[in-house]
Amino acid sequence: MNVGMPLLNVERLTKSFGTHRVLTCIDMSVRAGDVTCIVGPSGSGKSTLLRCLNHLEVPDSGVVFLDGAPIGVRWRGQTLHRMSFNELAAQRQRMGMVFQSFNLFPHKTALENIIEAPIVVQRHKRSEAIEEAMVLLDKVGLRERAHYYPKQLSGGQQQRVAIARSLAMRPAVMLFDEPTSALDPELVGEVLAVMRQLAEEGMTMVVVTHEMAFARDVADHLIFMDGGVIVEGGPPREVLSNPQHARTKSFLARVL
Amino acid sequence: MAQNLKTLPERPDIHTIQPVPERHPSRWIGGVVLLVIVFLFVRLLVTNENLHWDVVSRYMFSPEILAGLGRTLLLTFIAMVLGLAIGVVLAIMRLSQNPVFQMASWVWIWFFRGVPPLVQLIFWYNLALLIPTVSLGIPFGPQLWSASMNALITPFSAAVLGLALTESAYAAEMIRAGIQAVSTGQTEAAATLGMSKAQTLRRIVLPQALKIVVPPIGNDTISMLKFTSLVSVLALPDLLYSAQMIYSRTYETIPLLIVATIWYLVLSTILTLVEHYIEHRMNDGRPLQVTLILASLFRTGFWGARRAEVSP
Repeated sequence: MNVGMPLLNVERLTKSFGTHRVLTCIDMSVRAGDVTCIVGPSGSGKSTLLRCLNHLEVPDSGVVFLDGAPIGVRWRGQTLHRMSFNELAAQRQRMGMVFQSFNLFPHKTALENIIEAPIVVQRHKRSEAIEEAMVLLDKVGLRERAHYYPKQLSGGQQQRVAIARSLAMRPAVMLFDEPTSALDPELVGEVLAVMRQLAEEGMTMVVVTHEMAFARDVADHLIFMDGGVIVEGGPPREVLSNPQHARTKSFLARVL
Repeated sequence: MAQNLKTLPERPDIHTIQPVPERHPSRWIGGVVLLVIVFLFVRLLVTNENLHWDVVSRYMFSPEILAGLGRTLLLTFIAMVLGLAIGVVLAIMRLSQNPVFQMASWVWIWFFRGVPPLVQLIFWYNLALLIPTVSLGIPFGPQLWSASMNALITPFSAAVLGLALTESAYAAEMIRAGIQAVSTGQTEAAATLGMSKAQTLRRIVLPQALKIVVPPIGNDTISMLKFTSLVSVLALPDLLYSAQMIYSRTYETIPLLIVATIWYLVLSTILTLVEHYIEHRMNDGRPLQVTLILASLFRTGFWGARRAEVSP
């Protein structure tokens, strides 16, 4: 992987729900090792954009490229074919995703949540998967909670397990969909700390967030979205201290 | 003011005494009335000579009754297992994106929920009148195997068919509801981990759906136990028909019906306990004290919150 080259490319992405246009002709690119934060008011389309990246939402038009390969479609000679669910699954493994509502598997312990996909999808040996999972649990500070069920964990702990679960697939990029929005305020910090550490280790991350301090300190690139378009983007300190657009200014005035 | 206080007797300090609890005279009156009725009923049971308790106890464990009991249990078990297996397939078909599968499943459920099990039992038993021989082969091609329907349809196989197919329709709807109750967040999480549809269904969705459908499956099992008594029309010696065969010889009708009643009650009580036990194991995995399950048995259905009530 060439550091500095675009790892993820989004070209002319458009998505509607019924008659409601959610995303209009989005172009963006994410370089390997970069942290991109997407901010904006609710309903601006930022979560939908993130969900289009791994085709949890299938865009109406436009293409997402990961490492130059289009997501969800495949060339067969001169014709373009939509991938089957199971073909898409192979691509999705490379894009870890962390949800607002954690979505841990409630019938499995923290450890079982983490080893599930490595064993079932990547056919790793159980003993190896457990070994790696324990390293990841260490990393998110939850080694001693390995055998707890999700409902026995706090929201912050659940989200950290969810991050470890995604990391276990060794993804090329991590997508975070408002990872701290469902948390009590005092639990936000522990999740952001894990994300900060990931960023420092050079993980490529796309983060939809309302945490402006996190965006300012950690992001390499900040994108402000409103009304389904990218209004402006750039280095976070510049965008935050010197917004060019009136919409960005009014949004920042409300949240900062 | 000071005058007033002197004329009234001194009240104790409000902080030092407990208030007298609220009285419930209506509960006492209602309770007494009901106890009187219960007493009269019990007296009727004990003193009415037509009940012949000695006959009841004589036949309670007779080999004929026990054999019938065994058949009832076997029939319940086979019909439930078969019905649930078909039900899972039907539920998945119903939720599939293939309109033909959806439609086929819908028609099946519509048919087997709409036709009374008794009618079905008689119908299956007489299937040979409709289709005299069955054969297995390549359609429009050579025949590999064939048999006379009369040989295949015994009272037992007709009973299994009728009961299992009825059950499959109900099970399908329960399981479909269970699958749909698993949040889309779960399937999305599985998808982002690269799991295939089959893996997601088998490892993530079905285990969670199963937990949701355990209580209704338990109820259905108890219903099935009772529905099996319908097979007496096919002259299949289940618990009820065994009792009937005895009293048609001895004319001890009521005592033998009492024997059957007691056995049905015993079995359905055991099944209820088993269901509660499974439900609790699935809820928190902790082993449960028997007293707690027994307590839940009596509370069940009263306020509709049995799961909350039994948890310690």
